[in-house]
Amino acid sequence: MIQFESVSLGYGDRVVVSDVNIEVPDGKTMVILGDSGSGKSTLLKGVLGILQPFTGKIMVDGEDVGKLNEGELLLYRQRIGMVFQEGALFDSLTVGENVGFWLWEHTDWSDDKIEERVRTLLRFVNLEQVIDQSPDALSGGMKRRVAIARAMAPQDPKVMLYDEPTTGLDPFTSRSICDLVRQVQSEFSVMSLVVTHDLHDAFRVGDLFAFIHDAKVILTGDRKTIEQSTDPFVRTFLST
Amino acid sequence: MDYLRKKMLELLQSMGDFALMVAKSFRYMATHFRVGDTLIQMDRVGVGSIPIVFLASIFAGLDMALQFEVVMAPYGARALLGKVVTTSIIRDMGPVLASLVMSARVTAGISSELGMMTSTQQIDALRVMGIDPLDRLVAPRIFAGIVMMPILSISGDFLALLAGLGISMAVGHVPAPLFWSGVRDALTAQNLTDAFLKPLFFGFILTSIGCHYGMKSASGAFGVGRSTTKAVVSAAIWILVANFLLSKLLINIWGLSG
Ligand SMILES: Nc1ncnc2c1ncn2[C@@H]1O[C@H](COP(=O)(O)OP(=O)(O)OP(=O)(O)O)[C@@H](O)[C@H]1O
Ligand SMILES: [Mg+2]
Repeated sequence: MIQFESVSLGYGDRVVVSDVNIEVPDGKTMVILGDSGSGKSTLLKGVLGILQPFTGKIMVDGEDVGKLNEGELLLYRQRIGMVFQEGALFDSLTVGENVGFWLWEHTDWSDDKIEERVRTLLRFVNLEQVIDQSPDALSGGMKRRVAIARAMAPQDPKVMLYDEPTTGLDPFTSRSICDLVRQVQSEFSVMSLVVTHDLHDAFRVGDLFAFIHDAKVILTGDRKTIEQSTDPFVRTFLST
Repeated sequence: MDYLRKKMLELLQSMGDFALMVAKSFRYMATHFRVGDTLIQMDRVGVGSIPIVFLASIFAGLDMALQFEVVMAPYGARALLGKVVTTSIIRDMGPVLASLVMSARVTAGISSELGMMTSTQQIDALRVMGIDPLDRLVAPRIFAGIVMMPILSISGDFLALLAGLGISMAVGHVPAPLFWSGVRDALTAQNLTDAFLKPLFFGFILTSIGCHYGMKSASGAFGVGRSTTKAVVSAAIWILVANFLLSKLLINIWGLSG
């Protein structure tokens, strides 16, 4: 379970989101919706322990992320897969090296064993053929797929975080990424947090939804709750 | 007044960040040396810079010999040409010029590369994957700068001397043995210390400043461009400041001899 308990987060002395209370049950996918700059990525940084909450606490699997020291954070992050906005693939490495990066750095596995795991992961996202290419040579959708494979490399993760996995993709590719997100969730029964500002994609991948507006979470709930909301901000989102 | 205070605070903060980055990077070099990454950087920083550093050195040597010849000829001091040219090349011109040329290439390269990585969240991705970017990216670059800059600069000095010799013979009609005996006179312990120590510090300055600005670059092409410009300008200024301070320090240590 991921729990935000009256969390406020920000940079320096600037508060970006405050008094956030959300809860993602095991095996469920929560989608965070909000306009650009509302603090969606900031929430993910909180879950990763890159940002410490000013107040409140973020509990993941019963662990208070804010209380972990540097060494514990490293261990904690091994159970988390993060897919960055635009993928954030290392462009100095090949696709295969990107996916195998974590294993190279943190295990003493043999080259063959790593390659086998990398191939399995790439096969899962349907991209085994680009293993030796540079990430620059990939399309936007392929980059996201590779990023998803890379995020799953450490071991089968318990939590997956996706920052705008479909932004900037055509509807067809978006759809295939959404399907992949669902597939990861069902196959590894992970909890996922997906950030997006596209409502169609949100409904396609999510079980639960949270809207951020004006530095607050203004609404959380399942699809029904969202569709019946009368909040003007949520209504504008629904009407697009 | 408030504006000034804010700027001062920002400057102090930035210097603090820089000091912390450098301290941590040196700790990584000592405890967790990455051979592969460091060799790659030594190749990129050092070997890749050979052509421009050598070219700059050769022209500096040609020009210095020419100018000194013009000034000294009326005093009949041609015999001193070798010594004067050598002294000014290995104590000042060589290291400073090579480092300034390098900063245009290496500082700009490092800062835009790391800036782009910050901008595209590759740095965040490293952190999330349990790797400190100071360990993986910064330490190998600083180490490469410290090792490669003296090698480049001293080889450049040598080429500059050859160029100086050429001009002295062609324009000043100084016989080669006379020039060389001047060169030998100038190869004192003090001058050689300068020739080695200065580029070592400059190599540190031009890589670490590139890393510093790259790592805190704002995102987007504009942000990366601005931090790269800042990096190159401040590297150039700090090289000149450090050159003066080192000259002063070494003169204090050695006295006015040499
Ligand atoms: N590293 C940072 N330092 C200072 N302020 C930041 C930093 N990152 C983001 N912010 C600020 O925090 C606010 C929220 O940013 P965040 O990236 O969380 O937005 P977002 O909802 O993910 O937007 P987008 O949809 O554009 O990705 C923004 O106003 C931004 O200016
Ligand atoms: Mg974002």
